[in-house]
Amino acid sequence: MNSVKAPSLPARRFAGSFVATSRPLSRRHFLRGAGVLLSLPLLGSMQPIFARAATGGAPTGPNAKPRRFLGICNNIGLLPENFFPTGAGRDYVLSPYLQRLAAHRNDFTVFSGVSHPEVDGGHPADVCFLSAAPHPGSSGFKNTISLDQFMAERIGHLTRFASLTLGVNVAQGVRTLSITRGGVQLPSENSASAVFRRMFVQGTPAEVRAQLTKLDRGQSILDAVVDQAKDLSRSVPATDRERLDQYFTSVRDLEQRMELAKAWEQKPKPVVHYAEPVDPATPKQYMEKTKLMYDMARLAFETDSTRSIALMLDSMNSPAIDFGDNHFVADYHAMSHHGKSEQKLKLLKSADELHMDLLGGLIADLKAVREDGETLLDRTMVVYGSNMNSAQTHSTTNLPIIFAGGGFRHGQHLVFDPEHNYPLPNLFLSILQRQGIEAEKFASATGTMRGLEVA
Amino acid sequence: MNTRPPRSALRACAAAAGIAGVAFAGEPPRGTAEFIDQHCASCHDDDQKKGDLDLTALMFEPTKASNFATWIKVHDRVSAGEMPPKKKPRPEPAELAAFTGAVANALTRYERDQDALNGRATRRRLNRTEYENALRDLLHAPWLQLKDRLPEDPIAYHYNKIAAALDMSHDQLGHYLEVAEFALRDVMAQQVERPQPTVQRYYARAQRTFTSNTKKPTNEPERMVIPVNGYVSQYELLGKKGPMTVGDADPATRDIEAFVEIASQYDSYRMWFDAFNAPLAGRYKLRFNTFSAWVGPSSQEPGMPPRWWIPDLANVMPSQRTEPVTVYAETFPRQFRLIGKFDAPTTPGVNEFEAWLLKGETIHPDAARFFRSEQGFWRYRNPLATEQGSPGVGFRWLEVEGPLVDQWPSAGHQLLFGDLPLREISSAAGKVPAVIEVVSTDHAGDAERLLRNFLQHAYRHPVAETEVQRFLSVAKRVWEKGGSFTDAMITAYTAVLSSPQFITLQEKPGALDDFAIAERLAFFLQNTVPDDELRAVATSGRLHDSAVLRAQTERLLASPKSRQFVDAFTDYWLDLRKINDISPDPVTYGDYYLDDLLSESSLEETQAFVTELIRADLPVRNLVDSDFVLVNEKLAAHYGLPPVAGVALRRVPVPAGSPRGGLITQASILKITTNGNSTSPVKRGAWIMDRILGKPPSPPPPNVPAVEADTRGATTIRQQLDLHRNNPTCAGCHQNIDPPGFALESFDVAGVWRQRYRGVDAAVPAEVGTARLGQRFAFHYALPVDAKGEMPDGTPFADIYEFKKILLRDEAQLARNVASQLVTYATGAPVRFSDRAAIEKILGRTQKNGYGFRALIHEVVQSELFLRK
Repeated sequence: MNSVKAPSLPARRFAGSFVATSRPLSRRHFLRGAGVLLSLPLLGSMQPIFARAATGGAPTGPNAKPRRFLGICNNIGLLPENFFPTGAGRDYVLSPYLQRLAAHRNDFTVFSGVSHPEVDGGHPADVCFLSAAPHPGSSGFKNTISLDQFMAERIGHLTRFASLTLGVNVAQGVRTLSITRGGVQLPSENSASAVFRRMFVQGTPAEVRAQLTKLDRGQSILDAVVDQAKDLSRSVPATDRERLDQYFTSVRDLEQRMELAKAWEQKPKPVVHYAEPVDPATPKQYMEKTKLMYDMARLAFETDSTRSIALMLDSMNSPAIDFGDNHFVADYHAMSHHGKSEQKLKLLKSADELHMDLLGGLIADLKAVREDGETLLDRTMVVYGSNMNSAQTHSTTNLPIIFAGGGFRHGQHLVFDPEHNYPLPNLFLSILQRQGIEAEKFASATGTMRGLEVA
Repeated sequence: MNTRPPRSALRACAAAAGIAGVAFAGEPPRGTAEFIDQHCASCHDDDQKKGDLDLTALMFEPTKASNFATWIKVHDRVSAGEMPPKKKPRPEPAELAAFTGAVANALTRYERDQDALNGRATRRRLNRTEYENALRDLLHAPWLQLKDRLPEDPIAYHYNKIAAALDMSHDQLGHYLEVAEFALRDVMAQQVERPQPTVQRYYARAQRTFTSNTKKPTNEPERMVIPVNGYVSQYELLGKKGPMTVGDADPATRDIEAFVEIASQYDSYRMWFDAFNAPLAGRYKLRFNTFSAWVGPSSQEPGMPPRWWIPDLANVMPSQRTEPVTVYAETFPRQFRLIGKFDAPTTPGVNEFEAWLLKGETIHPDAARFFRSEQGFWRYRNPLATEQGSPGVGFRWLEVEGPLVDQWPSAGHQLLFGDLPLREISSAAGKVPAVIEVVSTDHAGDAERLLRNFLQHAYRHPVAETEVQRFLSVAKRVWEKGGSFTDAMITAYTAVLSSPQFITLQEKPGALDDFAIAERLAFFLQNTVPDDELRAVATSGRLHDSAVLRAQTERLLASPKSRQFVDAFTDYWLDLRKINDISPDPVTYGDYYLDDLLSESSLEETQAFVTELIRADLPVRNLVDSDFVLVNEKLAAHYGLPPVAGVALRRVPVPAGSPRGGLITQASILKITTNGNSTSPVKRGAWIMDRILGKPPSPPPPNVPAVEADTRGATTIRQQLDLHRNNPTCAGCHQNIDPPGFALESFDVAGVWRQRYRGVDAAVPAEVGTARLGQRFAFHYALPVDAKGEMPDGTPFADIYEFKKILLRDEAQLARNVASQLVTYATGAPVRFSDRAAIEKILGRTQKNGYGFRALIHEVVQSELFLRK
């Protein structure tokens, strides 16, 4: 499964705005007219972008190492009996599935007894995999910001794309891992070739011009409002002037971000030695599509095009899988309700093993790339897992979770209480802090992940 | 009342003092040294330093926040007679008065000097709710959903209206730009022709999301919808392919076809009127034809035990009771807005209501009382099933009339573009929907005219001509660089709606002018910008007249928009915004888990209760105890009151012997102050002291772990706390904090009356219940609840009844707290030391009628705290 052979496909029209250049607004509303202010890199930390002070571990300092995140959710899960290892700590015994990752044993940590508190409801929980918002199945449900978007808001301005929201066979408009601050789902891009073009193929002069025009309008707005603030500040008392000073600073910071966005628009896109991929023709080629998306993620990190990627493997929406060796399986979802049928279990196992092999390939690829004397894997945190323990029972506790890379002390099995699970959002908080983001809270996290140490 | 300003505010004051050249040198207030020497120094000197306080060395340095706070504490503790302590000789009354007077004078004089320079309040920006309301009103677009697109606002002194906390950042400003543009484009006409309202029926039997639930395997009959003709079950259609309706061929039959649901929506069991999507944002009439139904029990199979909890899908009949239906508007996927509730009648009939819908929204009804069945391997059981069968709701059809267009183009569009003609852009041929553009043959003239008019509506103060020119230049720059007139205007309007004059309140030190009063009044009582009448009164220069101001206050309170005040105020004063932050633990409290109808009803109850206090000008004692409650069927059962039918709240008297009545025994409050699976007297006690009694306890000392409830059942939380309280270091504060919490121990995590705790001690026989999810759950009764306690002054109480009586002895304190909360909310600044006199004046003027809630609002508005910056 290392080479991708797929029939050619007519170029797919780029439809969705899968690239969050940091606008959390629903894009639907902007499609009807040419937006004046599309794509402003408006969000981020309070730190000025061009700060040159030595900031050590802070994400924006000049000496800061880029730290990336890739979150992968396979929303149908993995057979728990083959996934969870036995024994705890560093001397644990690899499970049948983890055997497939044996070469990378010291590059990942595997967890037992973790889940998102109060995230229930079975399948609908997949949209909460990175947000941990409670009760997705309930009528009054409201989703909250996902981990990838949380970091995009804070460090997204450092790269050309604040984040990428990718998918394999994702049911459009139904599922995604990326949720904005307002609870809006960002569409997933299913086409690897579209991702590739967006990252590495130059926009037409007209497209670049349109983008620059929008930024120019934004700057003229800022000119007007800052002038008004200056006029006002002449006649206000000291405490009020302090508030207006904040307004000046805000305008200045925003202007810098607009300048930066203009610079990105004009800066040539990076060149990679990777042929523009051809999208596999059918959803059956699920595994090829997954491999391609892993490649896109690796290329994005390698070129520092973004530092935050969410990838939904929508097995639920994958009607059939081509196993590549004449095994065609009708309906991945139906298969997951195996009812202990031996034949179904065998097929599920084959699918799960392919997933493990692809993950192993991704880890190997990330290790093979060097950056400033470290491997790309050292600077990339990969969370691989599912929103369900078992698709058979739809249970949303005891999730299968692998955490690889990022320069942590791996090679261990962290075991928590299967009855009263340890909160998985704690891992997310650890990830944020590793990125140098000063976050004290994320979703229902109660602290950082216990037992996880930086190497 | 909390008199500690945040540090940043004080830093600001200090800076201001420096700039103005006002120095406050270190000497303690004149005439205090002798008193300190005689009465304080034996403990509070450099040797003893009791309580870490050396009064002999304490300078008066009001620019330092901690120093100012220390002097306030000295003043308060001496005034209250707490210091010198009881065992020491009492100072002479005159001596004591002279001392506290001298301290008070010094403190007051400092704050007054600051007020003269800067005003009590600092210029603040709008919070996100205010911004949303302001744009909805300005653009005549009540459907706009903007709040969640803006960053969450910081909180100080409990409110999101405090200048010192409402910071600006590039992030905030960037969001204003985006949200303003989004709103402006959403309000623009989206088609050239006036939309024609249609009346269209959507039959449940023709909805894809309903019919998909007829094709499943029948091993989960609760997750099926039952097709009926009248009440006659057509169960033979289940599991079949083919149409589920007679359709156009037989309209009479089609009108009485329905689907009956037994479960509410959960997991993948979701049904909505999927054939309807609002074609435009706007107002719609929704008519639901529904009925309550009853589905018989499965009969006994020969040789098998009875299985009455499984519905017999072949046996549908009328029901004796109505069933609540909650209606959500949904932006697919799963972005819900609650838009209405009604009772499905016992005979098929229509419920009609109006709602503002967003473009593309669909209508999602939920039979809210029913259990949420989880798709799964193991069988669940319907907790509402009886040996006589299970309740159901039948959905026949939804009729939608709309969009209801009052004027075309809309008032919002006309504000932006006047009567300029519209056209579809031909270059966008094939795009659906078409791109609409405004046609202007005189860009400069049209833009100037439109902008002048827009600014006069958008800004809340008279508009200088320079402002018109300022924003005109923004528009010009767009079309000079080849942009369209429409884009030019949207860009200029976006600038206006992100400018300081729009996003901040404009107040000058001293007495507020009429425009500033109008602005404060509108953001206070409607949480939005002044309406046309209020602006007209301000323009006429009569608003500061006491009688005129009173009349306007009455008018704003009487308007439906005052609801925005009640919602925003109670969201923060009472933390109602946190109603869903914690859910009851599914293991111990499965019977409350995922009960949306309960949390929605209890939120509504508290909002309606405060509305009623204002409407009827009820005395402040009602916060503690009232002779009425506002309940619906759900809450009446929850509170153990005589049953009422239906989903609407209504006012009913509290029967003798019920602990209900008053705010503090409402389900919302009792839920907000718990941890989900246990109650904490400390948390509840601190909350009541702070929010109801206005005596916020000191924050917990660092490094002291919270006392966690032990749900194993061997000890009660109270017994654990007693250990804590017996430690003299802890007792000092906890004797003030805990008593209200003890009295409220009679209420569980959802506010239900209890006599015993629930625990997980396996040694005690389990009480088995069926949870809202249909799963069996088991809990164990643990030790009995002990709700007795002792007030800090030693007055004992046995239970909540006696506790309420004790609180009612000091109505003035309840009123003092309400007045202080209102002042903080209305002026964006906390009640400080020197503001206390004004609060007492408000109390003096409202005492006569027991401090009526509306009277308190009036006196706040008429006070100098409100009428001066």
